[in-house]
Amino acid sequence: MTSYSNGAFFNPAYHDSETLEIDRSSSKTHHTNPYAGDDRAVAHYSTGPTSSDDVAGRVPWGGWQEESWKGRESIPMGLMSTRPGSPSWQHDLNHSTFQIPPGSQYDRSTSVRLPSAPSGNMTMRWRGITMRRMSMFPNGNPTHIAFTEDAIRNEMENEEQNLVKELVALSTRDRILAIRDLPMSVDEKKHIRSQVLAFKSSKQSRQFTCFADCSENVSLSFRRCGYSLRSARQTLELWHGIMKEIGGTFGTSVLSYFVFLKWLLMFNIFSFLVNFGFITIPLLVFDPSPNIPPNVSFRGLEILTGAGYFQYTVMYYGGYSNETLKGPVEYNMQLAYFFTIAIYMVLCGIALIFSMASSFKKNYVLADPSSNKAWQLLSSWDFSITNEKAVRQRKNNLRVQLKESLSEKAQRELLTLSEKLKHFGVYLGFWLLSTGLTVGCGASIYYLCQYEQQQATDAANWSLLQEAQTLLVPFVVSLMNLVVPLFYSLFNKFEHYSSHRRQIYALVVRNVLLKMSILAVLCYYWMNVVAKKFSCWESMVGQALYRLVIFDFLFLMLGSFFGEFLSNVIGTRLLPRLGVPEFDVARNVLELIYAQTLAWIGIYFSPLLPAIQIFKLFILFYIKKVSLTRNCQPPRRSGRAAQMQTIFIALLFLPCFVGALSMVAYTAWILTPSEQCGPFRGLNNTFSVVGVWIDDLGGIPGSQWVVWIYQNVIKSEIFYFLISLIIIVIIYIFWQVTQGRKQLIVLLRQQIVNEGKDKSFLLDKLQSLQKCQPDKKSKQKTQKKDEHSLGGQSNSNAMVQALLARQQLEEEEEGRDTGGVPVPSDISTSSALIQAMLARQRAYDQDGDERLSSSSALSQAVQARQMAEGQETDEYYSTDFSENPINTSSAVAQAMQARQRAEEEDGADDLPSSVSSVMMQVMQARQIAEEEDRPQWVPAPTQNPSPAGSSALIQAMLARQQAQNEYDDGY
Amino acid sequence: MGNKQTIFTDEQLDAYQDCTFFTRKEILRLHGRYHELAPHLVPMDYTNEPDCKVPLALIVNMPELKENPFRNRIVESFSEDGMGNLSFNEFVDMFSVLSEMAPRELKAIYAFKIYDFNVDNYLCKEDLEKTLNRLTKEELTPEEVQLVCEKAIEEADLDGDSKLSFADFENMITRAPDFLSTFHIRI
Repeated sequence: MTSYSNGAFFNPAYHDSETLEIDRSSSKTHHTNPYAGDDRAVAHYSTGPTSSDDVAGRVPWGGWQEESWKGRESIPMGLMSTRPGSPSWQHDLNHSTFQIPPGSQYDRSTSVRLPSAPSGNMTMRWRGITMRRMSMFPNGNPTHIAFTEDAIRNEMENEEQNLVKELVALSTRDRILAIRDLPMSVDEKKHIRSQVLAFKSSKQSRQFTCFADCSENVSLSFRRCGYSLRSARQTLELWHGIMKEIGGTFGTSVLSYFVFLKWLLMFNIFSFLVNFGFITIPLLVFDPSPNIPPNVSFRGLEILTGAGYFQYTVMYYGGYSNETLKGPVEYNMQLAYFFTIAIYMVLCGIALIFSMASSFKKNYVLADPSSNKAWQLLSSWDFSITNEKAVRQRKNNLRVQLKESLSEKAQRELLTLSEKLKHFGVYLGFWLLSTGLTVGCGASIYYLCQYEQQQATDAANWSLLQEAQTLLVPFVVSLMNLVVPLFYSLFNKFEHYSSHRRQIYALVVRNVLLKMSILAVLCYYWMNVVAKKFSCWESMVGQALYRLVIFDFLFLMLGSFFGEFLSNVIGTRLLPRLGVPEFDVARNVLELIYAQTLAWIGIYFSPLLPAIQIFKLFILFYIKKVSLTRNCQPPRRSGRAAQMQTIFIALLFLPCFVGALSMVAYTAWILTPSEQCGPFRGLNNTFSVVGVWIDDLGGIPGSQWVVWIYQNVIKSEIFYFLISLIIIVIIYIFWQVTQGRKQLIVLLRQQIVNEGKDKSFLLDKLQSLQKCQPDKKSKQKTQKKDEHSLGGQSNSNAMVQALLARQQLEEEEEGRDTGGVPVPSDISTSSALIQAMLARQRAYDQDGDERLSSSSALSQAVQARQMAEGQETDEYYSTDFSENPINTSSAVAQAMQARQRAEEEDGADDLPSSVSSVMMQVMQARQIAEEEDRPQWVPAPTQNPSPAGSSALIQAMLARQQAQNEYDDGY
Repeated sequence: MGNKQTIFTDEQLDAYQDCTFFTRKEILRLHGRYHELAPHLVPMDYTNEPDCKVPLALIVNMPELKENPFRNRIVESFSEDGMGNLSFNEFVDMFSVLSEMAPRELKAIYAFKIYDFNVDNYLCKEDLEKTLNRLTKEELTPEEVQLVCEKAIEEADLDGDSKLSFADFENMITRAPDFLSTFHIRI
């Protein structure tokens, strides 16, 4: 079974590693549960000699001990071979020596967790299974003694068969996705895939073959078609090489700007295609010559102003007619214009909402700012960086950041109240200042617009000066957009935000406020002033937007010249202290967002504005690329780019798209279209075009349903009321679900923490146990070989060890005994360890209450011992051991007797449990042995049938005996 | 690309497309890159699945990996023998996992392997120290390295065993959204 054994984990180092015993022992067993692996490992430990040092471990323990070892070791082996499906082996396990009953709890918990989402989580489960498989068969040649290769092979075959079966059950598409997600090498995936295909075809051949063949062929050809489409899309993909280069040099965060730019470009290409295809082409086909007044000619300035000649072309709203174009088919321009814009806006909104939601889901919901160091260490490195200089710089930056954060940690606690107040005052001051700046900009734009409105006339033919005057507003607006953000960046330098992220947020919020307030003022002006003054006001607004777009473009170029080129020159030549500038992703992205907002607002007034936008973004890409590679250095802080990107998409949606949409909707619903030009001339508002159309439809038979929908759905308030109500209810429910999930996450995390604590506690115990076992083993070996050498050892030393071992063993014994207590199987916690803990605690409680219970052998023992000790107070074995060994041993014997007595009484009173009876047997045997000759006691217990439940106890007894044995030998 | 058909059969390409996140074109491009690494070793004709491997030293010299501080670990993690010799399938596998399309869970598994220097299925302190030294050109003092690693473990270790198991690591990764974009090599 090469497919699993060749897991990429093979490494000789694995075999040599000391720390791996847990893993290795668990690697032999096969679980359906990742956590259970460790449990089993624990079980192995407590069984005695761990498998890794098994050879040493087996031999030295005398006769009956070895027997019992073998017996116990055979249990898991049996499990391995008998396990066709998981339930049976879990069952077996419950009857086995010890306490994997909790193991079944584990499994229950996973089975609850995993299949909860039936098909969606399947891949996850495979992933889990295969991951486990990799970690369980890490070295490919499991040569451990206890488990034959056959067993493992069977296991893996089973596992693989299950996987194949699950895969076969899926649809083709899901199956491919699932196979792709499997964490295996391509070879293994191919193997699985071929098996699945073979399985499928064999199954199908039994059924109606012809149809199956056909469908298979069809689906195959569809799939190939899909792949070739994907290939084609990749061929069309823009700037692949450039993107790779930028990512390789500047890292992902800078690259995200370019990705965003490209995304916007695609958006605009789409909107251009829609507008051009449904509005412009039909018009041009039927009426190719624009009806330009004879006295208007192209003067060149139009490229900047968009006025004059352009006003009469299809560039603006005014250039479209309101006729129904009559050709081979009738084409209603009014309806086409309205529905194209409306559908485009809706599609944009949906696309934005989806990308925003998925981005939030991916990047924001789970994000946790607390784990900073781990993040910096393990996931901040950008694997896409391939440039040597960039790598060096990144390493430097990371080092500086780490040093900073180390010192910051110490600093932050020292912040006094007055300092805090000072910081707060600074923030407040700068926020007031920046808000004041924003308000000032808005106000000045408003007055400027009023001034422009006084200058402008509604004439068809403007003089050059008049035309040039229109450039004033866009110039000022763009200038503000360029300069004021620089001030904001400057403010940021003084504010000393504690975290880089907060600093960026502050910057972003201020910039967005500025841009949005400027746009809001402009919109207000267009809606309220321009709409009343000009005869063809939509075109005027379109022109204004055109100018804004063009000027924004020019200033973006200027900005990258001044912002990046000049500061590069200053940084390298004049003031080396400043250094080479960094590429400010936040500022640049906000500029893109602003540009896109303009394009959205303009879509109604100037349907071909996306064309300008495409051109602009295309040029901008290259300018920014050149500016970046020539002038900038990679960002010093590798901020969390993915989150920033989410925020940018959210910003693009919330103030920008929603603002543009409401502006367009307001225009369409409320404002009266101009009477001289445009497709909606003569109507009260744009929306009434739908009413007119519906009235027309009313006359046509067979289209009554459209009318009905219009009357009862589109125009009815109750419908919208109900819809909003339902949406609010759904939002509320989801909100509650989210809250519940959050609580669940907290609980689950707490559970993991608890399990970890329990695990480490038990591991500590086991390790200390293990530490003393090899000691004894080795000692016994040497003792058997040569008794003299042992005699040379210090008496007290041997005794101390013996005592220690005994103590630990007793603790272990307690743990196991209580673990062996039948626990109600419906306890819902998934943690085996917690159960064990609980049981142990219960046992302690019982001790505390001095209540005898048949289920707790431990409490019996303790009580019995107490009794015995009460009787024999003069010689307590642990204190007077060294001084008076003979007395002590007799005291121990007496104590044992007392214990036995107590147990017999208990046995008479309570239900005789197998545990206590076996213990009694052991005690008896031991007592006999102790009273007789010491060297002879060893074989005695072999005669005892040692049932499974008692072996832990026997082990403990054994160790105790050994301790005594050692002590005696030492003595 | 007239010789397209001679490199792989259609069935092979289908299998690759089904099993990786690449299209046939990318597979062919990858083959080209693989062939470039060792023109004398790697045949152009892969229709009968020749058994050849390119050694680690040649692979880590690819421009995509050359400057990566973890280049050796990446290649080793994807090689069957653990020594870094990659067959073409493993080569494809490597870039498939590192591609943009690969899901977070898959990437996390291999990232864990890459950071697990001593291959003990845990990211222990030594692993983190090695990672850190590779990330900082070994310019931090040993005390700082210690401190940072301890902090990192403290932050990410949920079960308190003072080393990071895969569960810890995955948990951390799901909270670090950038991982998806940074654990990515464009080919």
